[in-house]
Amino acid sequence: MKNYLFLLLLVAVPLKAEIYNIGDLDLKAQHGKVVYLDFWASWCKPCRESFPWMNGLVKKYPAKDFTVITVNLDADSEAMHIFLDQMPANFDVYHDPSGQLAEQFQLEGMPTSYLISPTGEVVKRHIGFYTRDIERYEHEIEELL
Amino acid sequence: MQLKKKNIAGLLSVATCSLLAGQGQAADEWNVDSAILFYSETDRVDAVEPVISGKKDLGDDEILSMKLVFDALTGSSPNGAVPSTMVQTFTTPSGGGGGEGEDEEDEGEGGGSYTVAPNTTPLDPTFKDARAAFSMNWDKPVERDRRRNLGFNFSVEHDFTSLGVNGLWQYDSNQKNTSWSWGSNIELDSIKPIGGAPEPLSAMDAMNRGSDTETRTVLDLLFGVTQVIDRSSLLQLNFSLSQADGYMTDPYKIVSVVDSVSAEPVRYLYENRPDKRFRQSVFAKYKKMFTGKDIFTASYRYMTDDWGVDSNTYDLAYRFRLGGSYYLEPHLRYYQQSAADFYRYFLVDGQPVPGEVSADYRLGELDTTTTGIKFGRDIDGRQSWSIRLERYLQTGESSPPEAFGQLTQQDLYPDLEATIVQFNYSFVF
Amino acid sequence: MKTAIRWLLIAGLLAASGCSSLGVKPWERDLLAREDMLMNADALDLAYDEHIYFSKEASSGGQGFAGGGCGCN
Repeated sequence: MKNYLFLLLLVAVPLKAEIYNIGDLDLKAQHGKVVYLDFWASWCKPCRESFPWMNGLVKKYPAKDFTVITVNLDADSEAMHIFLDQMPANFDVYHDPSGQLAEQFQLEGMPTSYLISPTGEVVKRHIGFYTRDIERYEHEIEELL
Repeated sequence: MQLKKKNIAGLLSVATCSLLAGQGQAADEWNVDSAILFYSETDRVDAVEPVISGKKDLGDDEILSMKLVFDALTGSSPNGAVPSTMVQTFTTPSGGGGGEGEDEEDEGEGGGSYTVAPNTTPLDPTFKDARAAFSMNWDKPVERDRRRNLGFNFSVEHDFTSLGVNGLWQYDSNQKNTSWSWGSNIELDSIKPIGGAPEPLSAMDAMNRGSDTETRTVLDLLFGVTQVIDRSSLLQLNFSLSQADGYMTDPYKIVSVVDSVSAEPVRYLYENRPDKRFRQSVFAKYKKMFTGKDIFTASYRYMTDDWGVDSNTYDLAYRFRLGGSYYLEPHLRYYQQSAADFYRYFLVDGQPVPGEVSADYRLGELDTTTTGIKFGRDIDGRQSWSIRLERYLQTGESSPPEAFGQLTQQDLYPDLEATIVQFNYSFVF
Repeated sequence: MKTAIRWLLIAGLLAASGCSSLGVKPWERDLLAREDMLMNADALDLAYDEHIYFSKEASSGGQGFAGGGCGCN
């Protein structure tokens, strides 16, 4: 009975962004799924524009095959929280205030997104987000699914 | 009277990377800045200038911006003549001092006149004008590391019309830590002095009017580099060239010709400026943010031209961040210029008249100091307001060595003091 | 004084080109992205001042382009 109620709750409450520490990110655990890895920050305008679309991706593609993982690079976590209050996310956010993962990936611009295949291979990198390229981004994801 | 601002404003309004970065504006919204400025000189000119400007993100950082400016001036302004121990009378092509509009059918006839009391700086009380100006800019990224901006501007006054187009190209390198900008601006001006342009160096009373319309073209080239120094500071260096050709004389300004013994005015001649002007300037600007989000801004400009004017402009401001999104920003500007080669306080009767001469105080050797304070609030990413108060003081050499006779007891360069009050309100619409 | 300009220009170019080591990572532009840290922040004030000083002095222009910002896209 309790499990039943718990399940109901899960369905009733809308999915909300979980904010984790960057140290908790384990990309290997995502093997078997297509991963859209996005680096963003609250002060980045194109990042703000990409959020509704990324929320849409979570709904569009089945969760067992595809996931959106984002890394937030705000040095000020308050700025990140304010942004997420105004622009709710349906995907997980890993907070990386010192930019350690960004450094590892050698990010060249903001935002940057990586399309990772189920075998963990980086298939595509996009520097910048352009609403006019949305069709192309989705096509690239669908090719992997 | 030509009031228009030199239109690098079109280039100034370029936004390289989004305006309300991170918060506030989405596509489909207009970012509106509105402001009104009140300018008042002690005993001279008063002006009111409302402005409204809007920017819209057309998507993917393509930005359209527009600006509308109105300007109304009244009051009196020095006509270039020196003071005398006696009453002086000056003619004016318009219908006398005071509120009447000029009657253009009277062109060539006497028009009006005004008198000036002894031992006072002659001021023309008919100085009054209204201006409307419109400008538009289209700013678009081309590739990840390039931006292009195209703009045009138009302004109209009673006796002056101006049309300009400008273009700006920007290239980013070093992961956008360095930005290189090239810009140019072309302007066409048409001047229709009230009563026609006077014959240069002709006597004021003779009412020798030349042509109805004069023109002028200006070409500006700018080159700049902006360099990010560290997470909280950046520096900009600009170099610019400007070539103007055509009518640059002020059709309402005169030069006194004084008696070689007493130095009392004998007659007045209309001024005449060269028909070419080439200017060069270097400019540096530095901005730094301190912990607590205070911001320090400093800039310096050196300008030199072939009229003999050299100037130095120093500007400092410090924005104190107060609690609750308020700020207080004191500001200091110091400006110093040398006189134009053809600037004269007066001419002496009997001596040859130079081909080019002007007694316009704005071409003389002068020093100005502006002190101001700005108080404002950035309410959230979408609304802000501010109040700015400034005091402007301009001084020059009141007793130049060339003064003689009665001129030694006159103030040949009275101080100019002005107060500026400005209100700003910005919002998203 | 023309020499002075030339030197300033050369210094500026050297500084800018030699300073490819200066700068920040793309994700470190939070402060620079602020509106009040843009080179042409308070553009209306700058425009008003330009108009006033153009009317009262013999110099004009030569100042500010936009610059700085978040460097996004």
